[in-house]
Amino acid sequence: MPDLSHHFHFKAGSMSFSRRNFLIATGVAAASTSVLSACSSGSEGGSSQDKAPKVTGAKTVEIPVGTKADSTGPAPEVTGAVKGGTIYSLQQFDMDHMDPAQIYVSTEGAITVPIMRGLTGYKLDAKGNATLVGDAATDAGTMKDGGKTWSFTLKDGLKWEDGAEVSSDDLRHTFERLFATFVTEGPRYVQDFLVGGDKYKGPYEGKSLDSIEVDGKTITFRLKEARADFNFTLAMRAYSLVPKKHDTKEKYDKQPISCGPYKVESRNIGKSMTFVRNEHWDPKTDAIRNAYPDKYLFQMGYELVASTDRWIADKGTDQYAVPIFNEVAPERIAQVLTNAELKKRVLTAVDTVTYYWPINMTRITDLKVRQAINYAWPHQQLQTIGGGAYSQEIATTIFAPVTPGYTKFDLYGVDKKPGGDPAKAKALLKEAGKVGQKLVIAYQQSDTAVKTAVAIKNALEEAGFTVVNKQVDKSTFYTQIGKIDNDFDLFAAGWSPDWPNGYSQFYPCWSGKNIGDGRSNYAQLNDPSVNKAIDAASQIADVAEANKAWGNIDKMIMELAAVVPDYHKIRNYLYGSKVGNVIWDSANTCVALSKLYAKK
Amino acid sequence: MLRFLVRRVIGALVILLIISAITFWLFYAVPRDPAMMSCGKNCTPENLAQIRKNLGIDHSIPVQYWYWLKGVFAGRDYAGYGYCDAPCFGYSFANNVPVFDTIMDRLPTTLSLAFGAAVVFLVLGVGAGMLAALKQGRFLDKFASSASLLGSSLQIYFVGYIAMYYFVAQLGWLDQPSWTPFSDDPVAWFSGLLLPWLVLAIIFTANYTRMTRSQLVEQLSEDYVRTARAKGLSRANVFFRFAWRGAMGPIVTVFGIDLGTLIGGAIITEQTFSLPGIGRLAVKSVDQSDLPMLLGVTLLAAGAIVFFNIIVDAVYALIDPRIRLA
Repeated sequence: MPDLSHHFHFKAGSMSFSRRNFLIATGVAAASTSVLSACSSGSEGGSSQDKAPKVTGAKTVEIPVGTKADSTGPAPEVTGAVKGGTIYSLQQFDMDHMDPAQIYVSTEGAITVPIMRGLTGYKLDAKGNATLVGDAATDAGTMKDGGKTWSFTLKDGLKWEDGAEVSSDDLRHTFERLFATFVTEGPRYVQDFLVGGDKYKGPYEGKSLDSIEVDGKTITFRLKEARADFNFTLAMRAYSLVPKKHDTKEKYDKQPISCGPYKVESRNIGKSMTFVRNEHWDPKTDAIRNAYPDKYLFQMGYELVASTDRWIADKGTDQYAVPIFNEVAPERIAQVLTNAELKKRVLTAVDTVTYYWPINMTRITDLKVRQAINYAWPHQQLQTIGGGAYSQEIATTIFAPVTPGYTKFDLYGVDKKPGGDPAKAKALLKEAGKVGQKLVIAYQQSDTAVKTAVAIKNALEEAGFTVVNKQVDKSTFYTQIGKIDNDFDLFAAGWSPDWPNGYSQFYPCWSGKNIGDGRSNYAQLNDPSVNKAIDAASQIADVAEANKAWGNIDKMIMELAAVVPDYHKIRNYLYGSKVGNVIWDSANTCVALSKLYAKK
Repeated sequence: MLRFLVRRVIGALVILLIISAITFWLFYAVPRDPAMMSCGKNCTPENLAQIRKNLGIDHSIPVQYWYWLKGVFAGRDYAGYGYCDAPCFGYSFANNVPVFDTIMDRLPTTLSLAFGAAVVFLVLGVGAGMLAALKQGRFLDKFASSASLLGSSLQIYFVGYIAMYYFVAQLGWLDQPSWTPFSDDPVAWFSGLLLPWLVLAIIFTANYTRMTRSQLVEQLSEDYVRTARAKGLSRANVFFRFAWRGAMGPIVTVFGIDLGTLIGGAIITEQTFSLPGIGRLAVKSVDQSDLPMLLGVTLLAAGAIVFFNIIVDAVYALIDPRIRLA
C-alpha cells in the first residue's frame, strides 16, 4: 500500500509514494499501510531505547494463521488492565472515510478497529505480535483447489449496534457493494480476484455475483486464480462488514454501523469523533478486541509540534492521550529521545515501508547505467537531510527488514560507502560508453525535497551523469510519473505491503502485468524472469517457501538495478503517562487501540 | 439609508460573483487533477473517470462553473451524492461533506476568535492610544509608543508558541488553547480562547494604539478643539465630544477591514493554536486541491470584507454628519 504518512511526519516525505498526502500538505496522515511492523531491536513492545533505533536487526514479524481456538473469544486479558475512563487522541487529520469499502490507509483502518469487524483480523499478544484469526468468522477460513475457493463461517451471536443479528445477507452484501460506482478509494483486490468481478456492477440493481455463494452461515468465494493468502487479504479494513438493511450507499461514509465493542456516538468532521460502548457486542464472539475504556475521544486539528508539546507537558486529559497519526515532531525528536523521563513514554516502531527511487526501465535501458546510479547514490547525505538515524535507516533492499521474506543483501556496496562510490559509478558509465548520460529526476514540491534533489544531482554529476531536476506539482505528481509515456528517468516513491508477504509488495510495483497508465509499476519493469517468479511465488501455499521466493525476487530486481532503495522508516510516538499497555499493533502499523486502558 | 444599503448589497453580490469566477479559473490555471486524490492505488483510467463523474468535474470548466452557480441559487444534482438543495456550494473533494455545512460548522470558532480578540484589542489599543495622546511627550506616551512599535513588529506564530510554552506548559497559568462551543460550556469556551485572544490582541493592539494616538493628537490640535476650549468647555467634554469623535472615522474604517479579515480566516492564529476555524479550513482546502471548499471559504472571506465595508460606510454617516449616504 502506498505510504501516506511520512510526508507529514518527516520532511523527506514529499518524495514518497503517496496519493493523498499531497492533499494535506503538512500532513494527513495516514501511517504506513502494511500489516507488519516491528519494534526496534531492544525495544520490543515499545519501550524506550538508549540509542537511535535500528531497523537492521529488528525482528521480522511473521504473522501465523491461527486455529479455531485462537479465533474464539474473549480476547486474552491484558495484565493489570482496568475498565473505565476515556482514552483521548490528539490528531493532525481526520478520517477521510468511515465506509470500510473506501478505507485503504492503515491508520484509518486502525482507528476503526473498535467499531468494525471483518471475516478475518489480527489478534495481538501481550507484545504486539499478531496472528491471523477469524474475526466475524469462526476461523481464518478454509481453502480448496489450492486457493481458488475459500469458505468462511459466520460466528453465532454477532450483532449490530441496533441489536439485529449479523446475517449471511449482510456478508454477501458487504462484498457485492464493493463493486458500486461510489466505491473508488478502497483496495480492489477482492474485486479483481472474484470470478465475474470484471463485469459486475454491484447489488443495487438487484443482481448478485455468482462467485459469492452463501449457504446458511457459510460464505464461499470463487476466485479466478489460486490465492493462498486470500484470508490475509480479507483482513484489510476495506472488507469489514456492512449491514444490508442500513446501507445508505455513499451516505454510509458518514455514519457507519458498528458490530464491534464500540459505536460512533458523535462525529464532527475535522474536529472530533467519539466512540462509546456498543451494548450489543458480546466479548465471547471476539478474540481480537479488549474493551477497557468506556470511551474513546479522538481530537483532530493538532499540528505535530502542538501535540508533541502537549504530550511533553502531560497535563489534564492529555495524560490519557495516545497518537494515531501524530509522531513526535521532527523539531522535538532530539529533546524527547534524549530525555530519560520522556523516553519512557515513547513507542518506537519500525515500519514495513521502504522509500525508493524507481528507474524508468523504458528510458534507462542499459544495466550498467542503472548500476552506476545505484553506486553513486548519496544515501548518507539524504539520511541527514531527512532527519537522521532517529527517523530513517538506509535501505539496500526493496523489502523492509521486518517483512517476512526479507533477506539482507547489499549489491551496490552501500554499507561500506554510504556516501556513494562515484569512482565505481564513473567506471561503469565509461564501460557502457555513457559518460555524460542525461538523467531527468522528478520530485514533488517541498523544502526538503529540493535539498534532497540537489544532493542527488551533485552526487550523480560527480559520477559523470548530467542531471536535470524537475519539480512536479504534488497534485499531479503520480499522474505524471504514472503515465507510460513520461519524460522522467528517476522518481521518488515508496511502498509497503498490504499483508505480510511479498505479493502486495512485488505484484503492484514490479510485475510486467501491472504496467499501464495510472498503474503502480512506475519503473515499468517487464522482465520475463521476474514476472514468472512473481506468478510462481503467489501460488505457493507454504508460507516459509513463499517467503523465500519473495526474498529472491527482491534480489532479482536489485540485480536488474531497476530501483534505488532509499530508506526504511522508523516512527516515534509519545503518549500520556496514564495510558496503560501502549503496544504497537503490528497488523495495522499503529498504536494498538483495542489493547489500551486508562490507568486509575 | 435603505437605498444605500440595497445598492451596496447588489454591488457586493456582483463582486462576489466576479471573485468566484476568478477563483474557479485560477484553480484550473495550473495543471491539477482533483480526482487523483480520490483514486486509490492502481488508479485506472476507468476509475478516474468514475470519480470525475461522481465529483461533477467531468465537464469543461465553464460548464462546471455554470453548474456550481446553478447549485448556489437553485440546487443541483450530483452523480455521486444525489440532489443538493440550494444554496448548494458543492461537496468537498476530500471527504464528500457539504461545503456549506462545513463552513457553518467552522464559523463559530472563527467568530468567537475574531470578536473576542476585537474586544481585547479595541479596549487596550484605543485606551492606550487615548492615554498616550493625553500625556503627549511624557513617560506614558513614550512607553505606549515604544510598546506599540514592539507589538506591531511581533508575529503571531512566534508570540503564540512562546506564550503556550511558558503560560500553559511551564507555568500552567492558562489553559491549552482549544475550542468548546459556548453553548456546551461557557467557561471552557472562554478559557480555551483566552490565550489566542491575548496573543492576537498583542499584534492588533499595537496598531490601534498608534493610530488612536496619532488621530487624537491631530484632532486635539485642530482649530475647532481650541475654539471649544476657549469657550470654556471642560477638558473631558472637549476630548470626548469633539476630538474623540473626529478621530473615530479612520479607526472605524480600519476596524471594519480588520474584523472582516479575521472572520475571513485568522489563518496563522488558528494554525498556531490548533483551532478548527475558517483559517485552517482554508489552508487545508488549498493543500487538498479542494475546489468547492476553497470557493466557499474564499467567498466567505470576501463577503466578510465587503459586508464590513458596508457597515463601516453606514457607521461613518452616523459618526460624522458631514458625510451623507449618496
